[in-house]
Amino acid sequence: MAANSSASAAGAGGGAAAAGLKTYFKTPEGRYKLQYEKTHSAAVLHYNHGGKTVSQLTVAYLKEKPAGQGSTPSTPSSSSGMRSAAARLLGTGNGNRTLSFVGGNGVNRAVSGSSRIGGGLGTSVGIGSSQAVANYDGKGTYIIFNAADTLFISDLNSQDKDPIKSIHFSNSNPLCHAFDPEAKEGHDLIIGMGSGDVYSMSLRQQLQDPGRKPVAAQHYNKGDKDGTSTGSRCTSVAWVPEREGIFVVSHSDGNLYVYDKCKDGNNECTFPAIKDPAQLMISHAKSSKSNPIARWHICQGSINAISFSPDGAYLATVGRDGYLRVFDFSKEQLIFGGKSYYGALLCCTWSSDGKYLLTGGEDDLVQVWSIDDRKIVAWGEGHNSWVSGVAFDSYWSPPNSDGTGENAVYRFGSVGQDTQLLLWDLAMDEIAVPLRHPSSGSPTFSSGSPSAHWDNACPPTGVLQPSPRMRDVPKLSPLVAHRVHVDPLSGLVFTNESILTICREGLIKIWVRPSQSENNQQLNSSELVLGNPVSKDRVITSSNKATGSSFKQSSSVIFT
Amino acid sequence: MGAASSRLEKALGEQFPEGERYFGLENFGNTCYCNSVLQALYFCVPFREQLLEYYANNKSTGDVEDNMLTCLADLFSQISNQKKKTGVIAPKRFIQRLKKQNEIFRSYMHQDAHEFLNFLLNELVDILEKESKIVTEPCENSSLKKNSNSPVNGQLNGNKKEPVPTLVHKCFQGILTNETRCLRCETVTDRDETFFDLSLDIEQNSSITSCLKNFSSTETLNAEDKFFCDKCCSLQEAQKRMKIKKPPNILVIHLKRFKYIEQLGRYKKLSYRVVFPLELKLINTVDNSDLEYSLFAVLVHVGSGPNHGHYISLVKSHDHWLFFDDENVEMTDESMVQTFFGSAQEFSGNTDNGYILFYESLAEKS
Repeated sequence: MAANSSASAAGAGGGAAAAGLKTYFKTPEGRYKLQYEKTHSAAVLHYNHGGKTVSQLTVAYLKEKPAGQGSTPSTPSSSSGMRSAAARLLGTGNGNRTLSFVGGNGVNRAVSGSSRIGGGLGTSVGIGSSQAVANYDGKGTYIIFNAADTLFISDLNSQDKDPIKSIHFSNSNPLCHAFDPEAKEGHDLIIGMGSGDVYSMSLRQQLQDPGRKPVAAQHYNKGDKDGTSTGSRCTSVAWVPEREGIFVVSHSDGNLYVYDKCKDGNNECTFPAIKDPAQLMISHAKSSKSNPIARWHICQGSINAISFSPDGAYLATVGRDGYLRVFDFSKEQLIFGGKSYYGALLCCTWSSDGKYLLTGGEDDLVQVWSIDDRKIVAWGEGHNSWVSGVAFDSYWSPPNSDGTGENAVYRFGSVGQDTQLLLWDLAMDEIAVPLRHPSSGSPTFSSGSPSAHWDNACPPTGVLQPSPRMRDVPKLSPLVAHRVHVDPLSGLVFTNESILTICREGLIKIWVRPSQSENNQQLNSSELVLGNPVSKDRVITSSNKATGSSFKQSSSVIFT
Repeated sequence: MGAASSRLEKALGEQFPEGERYFGLENFGNTCYCNSVLQALYFCVPFREQLLEYYANNKSTGDVEDNMLTCLADLFSQISNQKKKTGVIAPKRFIQRLKKQNEIFRSYMHQDAHEFLNFLLNELVDILEKESKIVTEPCENSSLKKNSNSPVNGQLNGNKKEPVPTLVHKCFQGILTNETRCLRCETVTDRDETFFDLSLDIEQNSSITSCLKNFSSTETLNAEDKFFCDKCCSLQEAQKRMKIKKPPNILVIHLKRFKYIEQLGRYKKLSYRVVFPLELKLINTVDNSDLEYSLFAVLVHVGSGPNHGHYISLVKSHDHWLFFDDENVEMTDESMVQTFFGSAQEFSGNTDNGYILFYESLAEKS
């Protein structure tokens, strides 16, 4: 039912242009509104590269002040324009960031529909206020995203649509990136390339530099001697939580490499040949100087995404072969795994308590896995195409959050190639008992053989489970399904204030969370789409987790 | 051509599959619709093997008149018996026979590959059934014409005896069941229909899974379109849905990319982005069979309109993906498939779109 109605909703909008997209969507707790958009200057990129790369999104919380002030010499007009715009916002934001961004330059329109279209970068930015000091405090929240051969950095708290910094790579396209907010020293940003190369750098240093080249970047290469660089592009990068300076890179040839940022990146290293590409094989570098320090051959075909549990103990991988695998990272041991319904898995993520995993893939499903039970506990049905991004909303708290008992409720989101953002509530007490589908008209009920998948106890360590049968897995329906972009989506991130969505072409939309006071106002005003009064924005941005307490429990599905 | 062929051989090197032949097909003026379908069928291994077996068994009789079946079997045997591993073949006899047989395909106009596939499979069935009748039950009088597509028009079982399944049936035939529930008396009427392929309506930025869901979604028959309920003996409002009762061994999915637009008064090509996975399960079966399929061929229509353009095919053989463009054959890899999903926005210029998908059942294999 849910699937059908959402399908028709998407179909109706399918032919329409961007104009058909709404700038808000309703949830039981209130309206999420499009606050602004971020993108790169698309005109330059599209024609050169034919959209071969898919844009990914990283949110970077930069904490401390940099060691040195980045005073900069005069620069070409375009980049100085970008810089001054950023500096202006940052400068005024020192005292109270949230206030500065609503009132900082007198622009109150929260929706970016009025932005220049295809205008030159920097030409119209900040001309009136470019007297701002170029002190790159660097503190704040940044969004990092890739498109074609460039990595872009935008200030999340500025309404400026254009990035404040672009880093151009001449040899290959950046495809994936990760930021380490806990990095005590040295590099905190890693970037995986289409060529299989990896770079690490300091985000702050990049922000301080006016140029278009990466600054003080360290280069790493896994050093395939056979030169088969094709088929080994980077697919995902991640810092290992609680392990200062250690990061891993997954590749399209089924390998994952472990690096140490404190070691030289270009040491010769060799790993033994892979005899059976379908078998797990973990090898350590012989030389202590070697970087990468280890290679994990995980599966046949590409590893599409990786994710560490918040404590860094477990590593999850998903791949072309349709399997989720969960490893004990320090013991280098497969704990459990399981397969999609069919097709490749494309994305995975952990809940903040490390108890649940989400995966999404080519079967249009969002799978919820329980770590304790080592199996799938639910399938989310609602996307009309492949699921390309999943994330738990760790800032959300359930309506009656007394935090007692088993009634844990998780909020999560998913985005897909159907251009939709879906939000889901996962109430564990509701799906603990597997549903035996009384499927209409199906005679298979008489078979009476209970499903092995469900009735077995927790499977032994190291076992990969086959696809479960359709009727054996409890189904979830989305709380909300909203078409957020014109192009297929590639990722989403939850922040304290908003939900960020990004499409494959590199357009980012920022959906601000409903606030309590707004909720009350919304009860009276039925339509409010564009232009939020300043006061409202203040409320939004100063709200915190407590906002969640206004949520109402609702099992109905809202399609916007 | 020669260079390209040797390049393919070089690319495959020692991995060149034992006994396999990769031959391009010459184009006789807009016969790419035909070539692309022939390649997909040739690499539909169970079909090829049965056809070659048929050819071997019937060769001796020699005096039989040429027909589509003998021409196709002859072509397949020609390819498989080539001394060289790669090269180009002119499917001359087959094309001549095709043009003789059906005037639609006689002109040099651009033709629809799906129409051709339909015509060919039905023609093969006719010939095979006639032959089997001559052999087994010479006095059966029913004239048989299978409806392959558009199951709406045909109702086959009930009034006819089940014919001997031909090799075409064994490979491609599936059964759909049409459940209609009268909203007055609640009686459910089941009507089975056979199919050789599923024609699916498509939507922008959707998946094949979603198209299949829509195909089987519940439809209400009312107003002008009421249902004649046998029990109520009158036209009644009813709910109808189509499910797959027997999944075929080879699942052929046709994406309805050519749509008649009333305002324009002509057909228009829909370049919608419709993603299809390399493995697929049918979510709309009657018994939730969970049967898994694997993609082995994609027919691609190249071009912006329905009346012109080009057809190419991507084919998987022995775990390698190959690209067939008339006489050219090249090696490629599975990620190439993704470039034929379509365009996410209407005018973004990607007009090379997957048009017919061929999936094989994995149950059959193991």
